[in-house]
Amino acid sequence: MARASRSRRLTSIGDFGRLELEAAFERADQISSDAWPDQSEALQGHTLLTLFAEPAGPSQTAYALAGRRLGADVADFPAGESGGFADALVAAEAMGPDILVVRHSAPGAADFAAERSGALVIGAGDGAREDPVQALTDAFVLRRRFGALDGLRVAICGDVLHSRAARSAVGLLNVLNVEVRLAGPPTLLPADADRWGVDVFHDLDEALEACDAVIVLPAPRERISGAFVPSPREYAALYGLTAERLSRANPGAVVLHAGPVGRGVEIAADVADMAEASLIGDQAAAGVAMRMAVLSLMTEWGGNRMGAA
Amino acid sequence: MSRPLLLRGARLLDPASGLDETGDIRIEDGRIAELGDMLPADGAAALECEGLCLAPALIDLAAHVGPSGAPGGESVASLARAASAGGIGTVALTGEDASPIDTPERAADLIAQGREAPVKMLVAGAMTRGGDLAEMGLMQRAGAAFLHGAAPGFALRRRALAYAGGLDMLCAVRPEEPGYEDALFWEGELAARLGAASVPEAAERVAAERDLALAELTGARLMLDRIATQEALEPLARARAKGLEVFASVGIAHLSFNEVDAGGLDPAFRLSPPLAGEASRRALVQAVADGLIDAVVSDHAPRAPQDKDAPFGDAAPGSASIETLLPALLALAADGQLTLLQALAPVTSGPAAILGLSQGRLAEGAPADIVLFDAEAPFVCRPDALHGRARNTAYAGRRLHGAVQMTLVGGGVAYEG
Repeated sequence: MARASRSRRLTSIGDFGRLELEAAFERADQISSDAWPDQSEALQGHTLLTLFAEPAGPSQTAYALAGRRLGADVADFPAGESGGFADALVAAEAMGPDILVVRHSAPGAADFAAERSGALVIGAGDGAREDPVQALTDAFVLRRRFGALDGLRVAICGDVLHSRAARSAVGLLNVLNVEVRLAGPPTLLPADADRWGVDVFHDLDEALEACDAVIVLPAPRERISGAFVPSPREYAALYGLTAERLSRANPGAVVLHAGPVGRGVEIAADVADMAEASLIGDQAAAGVAMRMAVLSLMTEWGGNRMGAA
Repeated sequence: MSRPLLLRGARLLDPASGLDETGDIRIEDGRIAELGDMLPADGAAALECEGLCLAPALIDLAAHVGPSGAPGGESVASLARAASAGGIGTVALTGEDASPIDTPERAADLIAQGREAPVKMLVAGAMTRGGDLAEMGLMQRAGAAFLHGAAPGFALRRRALAYAGGLDMLCAVRPEEPGYEDALFWEGELAARLGAASVPEAAERVAAERDLALAELTGARLMLDRIATQEALEPLARARAKGLEVFASVGIAHLSFNEVDAGGLDPAFRLSPPLAGEASRRALVQAVADGLIDAVVSDHAPRAPQDKDAPFGDAAPGSASIETLLPALLALAADGQLTLLQALAPVTSGPAAILGLSQGRLAEGAPADIVLFDAEAPFVCRPDALHGRARNTAYAGRRLHGAVQMTLVGGGVAYEG
């Protein structure tokens, strides 16, 4: 595999070009089907630090699990909100990690870390800016269902304004020639989202017309209780994905949701549980595989710590 | 099917088409079947209307019912009675602070009551509830025709307008700045002399500029609601010239009266927004004549007698003006301040265009919402003779013009004088 020039960090989906993307999908595919022999030794002798300055979620667990399955030493660096992020980075750096996985509430935090660390840095979410591996996971799940993504139509529904996963997904799906639609109330869509190479809808029914996949974004209760949306019941009525609404999409359309799933709010329980259409379970499993793929590939491309022998 | 009706020899006034000539109108199945001259009876019941004006029944985009059940408040039925007696065929109910329409349940309840009324009742839902967005989408589903509100602060107003814009609903927004809730007058020599709390007219300019900028930013369909001073007109004209689809309304009292009428501190003239100076009143009348202002509203605000029976500053603001909307406009026409068509446009074709209503015009196929009136007849406003419940009118004792003979809504007689 060719060594990519920018592959020492993955903080934005734009850090991966076509070649890296293909490699990541291929590797994740091999991992998922147990067809990659090096699995348990790939990161032997490497140290993976997860540095989450936001409450840890399933994502941190998935990174830790991915690192361990690849044979790495995995540790969580406790970077609570107390103390400065720069100081936390200095302390973490002193432990000599080979890979640093960073999540922080400030946009640009992952790049901030990449500039101060000799480790490979993976951004696991910087504010509402990017979460590239989540986007890779979603695209991977879609690839496994549809084969090629070329020409598919995907609707991303809900709180795009606060969603880093959505921003990464738009960037990735654009590169993969997927037609992207954003649907949500104007208060939850960035004002200039129509310049992202997507079609913007405020009517979910219209947005779902002839779609192949629907990515439903979480609708945290505090955002839909008056500030951005009047109430959860109004959100459910206007933007909740129901089976009836989903029937406007193409036959065989699938539903993704990265969690936490607000049943009865942004997605009806029966839709979340649909055997054929719901890929919510697949996303969790694919999330570990994609993290393993990214960790192993970046290690192969990026080599050892900068400055190390 | 009721028998077709032929109204003969009336002066037909239709601001939408500019029509002003004597003719006949034939009504069938609740619609205007034919307009013309010397139409044959053809089995229709004929009514001779010589000497009378015939216009589209009025559309009033802002009337309040007041606190429900409170003495002095209107019921939907009593408001409809007053409206029909005033030649109004369509009334939009809007909420107030004390009696908001800010839940889908409240909106649905009023809409259900409105279905029983002899006139068409529209309901406007509030954009905000407390400091939060109100359930605009659910109110729209319940049948709310448009939205109104005065959310304080730029950020909340922006979110409210953006959200409403996504629903493609008209937003009637009162251009006001927070901090002047206790103002009794617009700032000026009169207010200074009376020692009354006042608000500078510049506040309305700033608020109008903000709301117009927000309309441009969010794409919301905006109506500057009940503008009260000349200060709001210049930003409005500029936004129009830029091609922005924005509208404006004015309360009828602000065309009839000026601050001097309130200078005697009669609580009947305590209004919100307050009455402005004569220069503003003239400018507002001119803006109606020019079509810069699209709608004139009654801003009918029923108040309990004890709430008005107080010194000016303590009295509840508002005037029960729905029944005098047409006579007050006709008085302006009789006075030469407006032509008859200019006086009728902001209560017929203007509001119909804002809301996309099919009524509000005399055209074949349009709903037979019609008012027949004698434009020359003197009208003296006597509170005890009003058809609604509220008696708190600023027009008490005023000599106005016009006597409504008949109001038809959907071809049915809603009022007969």
